[in-house]
Amino acid sequence: MGIAIATQTPAPVSTNQLVLRMLKLAWQFKTAAVVLIVMQATLVAMALSGLGLTGLGIDVIRHHVQPDSTSPPHWPFGLAPPSDWPVLSMVAVLSGVVFVIATLRFGLDRAATIWKAKLVQSIIVHLRAQVYDKMQRLSFRFFDANESGSIINRVTTDVQSVRLFVDGVLVEGCMMALSLTFCLALMFKIHPWLTFWCLLTTPLLCMLTIVFSRIVRPAYQRSRQLFDTAVLVLSENVQGVHVVKGFGRQADQIRRFSQANYAYSQQQKWIFWRLAMFVPVINFLPQINIIVLLIYGGWLMIQGEISFGTGLVVFAGVLEQFSMQVGSIANITNSVQRSITGAQRVFEILDEPLEICSPPHAVAMPHARGRVRFESVSFEYNQQESPILSDINFEAEPGSTVALLGTTGAGKTTLLSLIPRFYDPQKGSILIDDQDVRNYNLDDLRHNIGVVFQESFLFSHTVAQNIAFGHPAASREQIESAAKIAAAHEFICKLPNGYDTPLSESGGNLSGGQRQRLAIARAILLEPPILLLDDPTASIDPETEEEILQAMTQAMDGRTTLIVAHRLSTLRRAKQVIVLESGRIVQHGTHDQLLQSQGHYQRAASLQIADDESKRLLGILRPVTKGSP
Amino acid sequence: MTRSTPTNTGEEHEHRQRPLQISLIKRLFGFTKLHARKRNWLLLITATHACQVPALSWAIAATIAGPINNKQLDEIILSAAGVTILAIITYVSWHFRMRLGLELGEAVVHDLRGHIFAHLQRMSMHFYDKTKLGRIISRITSDCEALRMGVQEVLVISLVQTGRMLIAAAIMLWYDWILFMVVLTMAPGLWLISQFFRGRLSHTWRNVQESFSRVTAALAESVNGIRVTQGFVRQDRNAEQFRDLVQNHSDHHLHAAQLTGVFLPLLEWNSQFFISILLLLGGYQVLAGGMLANADPNAQFESLVVFFFMVNLFFGPITVIGKQYNMALTAMAGAERVFALLDTKPQQLDRPDAILIPTIRGQVEFANACFAYEPETQVLTDINFVAKPGQTIAMVGPTGSGKSTIIKLISKFYLPTSGQILIDGNDLHQIRSPSYVRQLGIVLQQNFLFTGTVYDNIRVGKISATDDEVRDAARRLDCLDLIQSLPAGFNTEVGEAGGNLSLGQRQLICFCRAMLADPRILILDEATSSVDTMTEARIQRALAVLLSDRTSFVVAHRMSTIRHANEVLVLNEGKIVERGTHSHLLTADGLYANLYRQFIQTTDM
Repeated sequence: MGIAIATQTPAPVSTNQLVLRMLKLAWQFKTAAVVLIVMQATLVAMALSGLGLTGLGIDVIRHHVQPDSTSPPHWPFGLAPPSDWPVLSMVAVLSGVVFVIATLRFGLDRAATIWKAKLVQSIIVHLRAQVYDKMQRLSFRFFDANESGSIINRVTTDVQSVRLFVDGVLVEGCMMALSLTFCLALMFKIHPWLTFWCLLTTPLLCMLTIVFSRIVRPAYQRSRQLFDTAVLVLSENVQGVHVVKGFGRQADQIRRFSQANYAYSQQQKWIFWRLAMFVPVINFLPQINIIVLLIYGGWLMIQGEISFGTGLVVFAGVLEQFSMQVGSIANITNSVQRSITGAQRVFEILDEPLEICSPPHAVAMPHARGRVRFESVSFEYNQQESPILSDINFEAEPGSTVALLGTTGAGKTTLLSLIPRFYDPQKGSILIDDQDVRNYNLDDLRHNIGVVFQESFLFSHTVAQNIAFGHPAASREQIESAAKIAAAHEFICKLPNGYDTPLSESGGNLSGGQRQRLAIARAILLEPPILLLDDPTASIDPETEEEILQAMTQAMDGRTTLIVAHRLSTLRRAKQVIVLESGRIVQHGTHDQLLQSQGHYQRAASLQIADDESKRLLGILRPVTKGSP
Repeated sequence: MTRSTPTNTGEEHEHRQRPLQISLIKRLFGFTKLHARKRNWLLLITATHACQVPALSWAIAATIAGPINNKQLDEIILSAAGVTILAIITYVSWHFRMRLGLELGEAVVHDLRGHIFAHLQRMSMHFYDKTKLGRIISRITSDCEALRMGVQEVLVISLVQTGRMLIAAAIMLWYDWILFMVVLTMAPGLWLISQFFRGRLSHTWRNVQESFSRVTAALAESVNGIRVTQGFVRQDRNAEQFRDLVQNHSDHHLHAAQLTGVFLPLLEWNSQFFISILLLLGGYQVLAGGMLANADPNAQFESLVVFFFMVNLFFGPITVIGKQYNMALTAMAGAERVFALLDTKPQQLDRPDAILIPTIRGQVEFANACFAYEPETQVLTDINFVAKPGQTIAMVGPTGSGKSTIIKLISKFYLPTSGQILIDGNDLHQIRSPSYVRQLGIVLQQNFLFTGTVYDNIRVGKISATDDEVRDAARRLDCLDLIQSLPAGFNTEVGEAGGNLSLGQRQLICFCRAMLADPRILILDEATSSVDTMTEARIQRALAVLLSDRTSFVVAHRMSTIRHANEVLVLNEGKIVERGTHSHLLTADGLYANLYRQFIQTTDM
């Protein structure tokens, strides 16, 4: 097949719409999210109060050391202890409270971490399952147009990005707003003007952080792409090592790799330079705040406007907290961007219309008789390109075999794909038992058709599970009888665990012939009245072709079969042979008829027919079929 | 850490971490020699930077504890100016430290990647037969990444952190050694906690990764097998199984969260705990006159404030260095693997005194050639034949009879274990490979295409060929129209391994590639078996053009190709059991005649 289709440009979705949809998604998890916000806000409050109490402790000690030059410590909420308390007990109590708060914080922190993980995971499981389920129902067109890697990414990475909107944007944003408010409130309470002067650099910090992440994020993406290119060169050189060695291309390939390697390194250097500019600067700005605090705060303290511990020391601590929180603005803006691009790709799948589905009043099809008719069928993958099939007409009687022949890209595979509605034709119709396939219940239709593909895909389940793929509830007898018809029973029994032997990824531990026989068994398990065989011997080691031919012959028995074939033995047995060229039927008839008329068929057949001379030498010359070349 | 299990499934084990080895560290350090200037500056700047950071913190703490505490405005301003200058110096040196460190790491890894790739190009086929693609790739991805971390993180960060810790310790000792001793007793506990959790965590993260790779594997299978899934109406069942996998992955995540949920809060708790201890003990020191006699309460108070600022500088590095230590162990494992690869000696296919050969006539002779991939199992035994220039030699035999091995020996992918292969009478071992390989054209059954256009891929046969020459090669093979009918003709991008072309189309490109190379010796190993009959019928005549005038070796199943060979070698179990022309062999009525009879039975009318 292998027809590349230009990726459909997705309908432009505005950012607002995407955000709105993500908000809707987040709404489903609102309770958990609100609880998380409350927990984290409490944590910030606890951290600040711990800090405040420490400052108070310092003040208490200092007042005792320099009673003349300092004002008495300022106890919050009028909780001043009786004045006859020894100073040491006061300090001990404060230290004990700091400890208790720390311990409580530990417990709450732990709970919040786990709570957050639970929230994140429940969103992910929910979304992944949803996207996966939808993806499975999309038409083949979607899978033709999108690379498998990109589809996989949507279920893995992009789903992560979407949930990031909930925990990384909404929760994190609320958290930041709350803790900044707490910090600001505390700082204002200590001294409003000190707060103002100390936070003078904050807008600059925000801006720098955001600007930097805007610059560096695409640069990292580019760097990842460049690295992937280098890895691709390596992997191709390993996979195609016989070509590289066979054509003596080592030197070029080393050059090709070092170019890729260099390009990546240069890109990294570019990033490093900026990173090494940004990180120190970003960390330097809070130092300016501290210097302001030292001078202005020091002056205020001399003036007696703020105290030493609860004023200056606490202020320094809060300032640090504040800068840290501001630094996370960049994370949040990044998360917004990431989640928007992710959301676009995830919602694209969720919104993709189901192109092929059962009609509203679908006709049930318990068991078809198996008459298949093509009526002026034309098909194209998209309008820009020339049609893949044009004006196809033929009819297959129940139980008969139609063989399709044609050069690479003539449209054979496409023709077969139209019958189980993997695609729908643009013009004409395909009828099974005189009813348009589009009127049937889709699942029924497909249950009535057994398909064997060119390169059969097996799943990494056991042999039995693979045969029972279309009907997981099948009994062992059913599975074995299908395997017997497909001439697979014998080799399966020889496998280490027989029918329960697990297959490695895409059946790597089986030979090509064995894989195809399993595919045939899988196709006939449900006794389908219609069988589609898409050149099952194409990618098979020619020496093992024999094994499959027998399986095919047995499977075709009693079923309407459409088969793409090249072997004369198969073609000869077919009731009709159709020769396709560029999507049109150019020759149509029985094997004998076609053999007699000049054309493609005769030419291809002559390649396979043993010459008379060889037969004579073998001593098996029999009367030659009339008219054979 | 992982133990090798007795029930080894054939997968050799890769260690994730290895103990520190001086020899490996030295060798890795050797890679910085090329960038010695950068490295020396880095070490110098790192060392000064390591002192500047605690100095800055101390300057701030001292300003607060001293001039501010004592309400001396002049000194406050003076100290603040000092802090400012120190801060500027610190952050400038931070810039250079960071930049040089990152650049050095990248430079070393860049060199290593280049070495690995060039080395891989020298490795023999034996190596590729035995080593999996994923393994080779992880040498330049994860292993090199571990080494980068080793250079830029472990080296630089540990230096900075150690310096920070030592200087913070020195300052605290100087202010109040008793209080510092109390601080010190808590350090081992912190170290143990962090190492314990890190071990558990890395184990859990591995589970997370493994379960995630199960998720992606299932996904990849679903996407690649979607046609089967839909054809067999299996969607619901798959969705159920997928949900289980995702749930399982998510459970591992939760487990990891349970651990981090203890670990990180515990670190935070620890520093809070310390502050409360400091408050209590410091308070006692100040108020009760301290554990030393004649302590000045004012000085005691000053040191208490300094301690508040310095204590995190002392504790921070403990957990950071723990992390660096683990990174270093991972880097060791990476270094061990990378250097093991670089130390694998490529098998020498050319003798040291091998000669360059000019254009050959194309006589190929096997003289008692034997071959074994593994010493015990002989694949070819005493192969003798002569292919005269321009002749076509066909090879026939059941699977595993050694046909493809003969082809690989002619391609000089391997050397015969005994006996000789002579090209125009010269031992192949004595011919320099590049001069020989240049005159070879190979088309194999597994047709491999590189990422790039059809043009690029055909040009693999002859890099300097013009577009016209490429087209001409296709024209001579009578497949110009077939290639032109691709979506973008000769400019069609073929994906990884030629994914978006059919088997037949891919094979045509490989034929053109060999045609363009215009070789003296041509090798076709089951080359037409994946081209469909209709296409084969078309290019049959063209193949005759390709074969003519060159010494050709053909392994083919379709008898039509074999019929016209000058000599047919019939192989069985690594030996030539029959030889002769097609008609000669049919009359002899041996293995070949039997094979041919079978063929006739399946195709005969």
